[in-house]
Amino acid sequence: MYIKIRAVDVVRVPPERLGEDLVNTVKELLKDKLEGRVDKRIGMFVAVLDVVEMKEGRIMIGDGGVYYETIFDALVFRPMMQEIVEGEIVEIVNFGAFVEIGPLDGLLHISQITDEFISYDEKGAKLITRESNRTLGEKDRVRARIVAISLNERDPGDSKIGLTMRQPGLGKIEWIEEERKKESESEV
Amino acid sequence: MPGSERYTKYEKARIIGARALQIAAGAPVLIKTDKIDPIDIAIEEFEKGVIPITVKREK
Repeated sequence: MYIKIRAVDVVRVPPERLGEDLVNTVKELLKDKLEGRVDKRIGMFVAVLDVVEMKEGRIMIGDGGVYYETIFDALVFRPMMQEIVEGEIVEIVNFGAFVEIGPLDGLLHISQITDEFISYDEKGAKLITRESNRTLGEKDRVRARIVAISLNERDPGDSKIGLTMRQPGLGKIEWIEEERKKESESEV
Repeated sequence: MPGSERYTKYEKARIIGARALQIAAGAPVLIKTDKIDPIDIAIEEFEKGVIPITVKREK
């Protein structure tokens, strides 16, 4: 999920930028430094929103830069275990499907799509269930649950999020609606 | 800005040194001057009391 957090960080303002408006410069430097970065505890920084407070600058020996301790608000994407997410399928591969659930993609393994056996149609880039003949392809919207999180701080693009849809109420949006219709009919 | 007597010779050296390094690295100069050497510019700024640097002393 997306969370707004208040964080503290130290920013180095290089000498050649000392003449500019300080708050704007610090905000820009924070953006350059943090946006797109991943931290295991915090999540992925999506945007630096506002500089809330800046402490007095400090000058280190042998460095002309000024270091400012800054309190700021940031928007982060933090995947949580058991979180229900909705997203669009961006790629089908022989071992499953990748679902865009925010700035990161989640992997939906073939074994976690339905209870049925699933085959891979390479030409149509689709996954097909054996018994009910349902298909899953790119651009389909699905609802899934996060069951594994492995964030890589050094290489954010290498982070992995595992998903499952083997549970009532989860699956491709159309399947969920079909199931719901069936249920309400059987009640009548 | 208070006069330069407020600082010890060590603090003066530290302030002028840090300021000269900033000027050498491209920080905007705060006075009008013909000087070229960043150390000379920093000294002049210090004498005029325009350097935005203070010393935090241990109590």
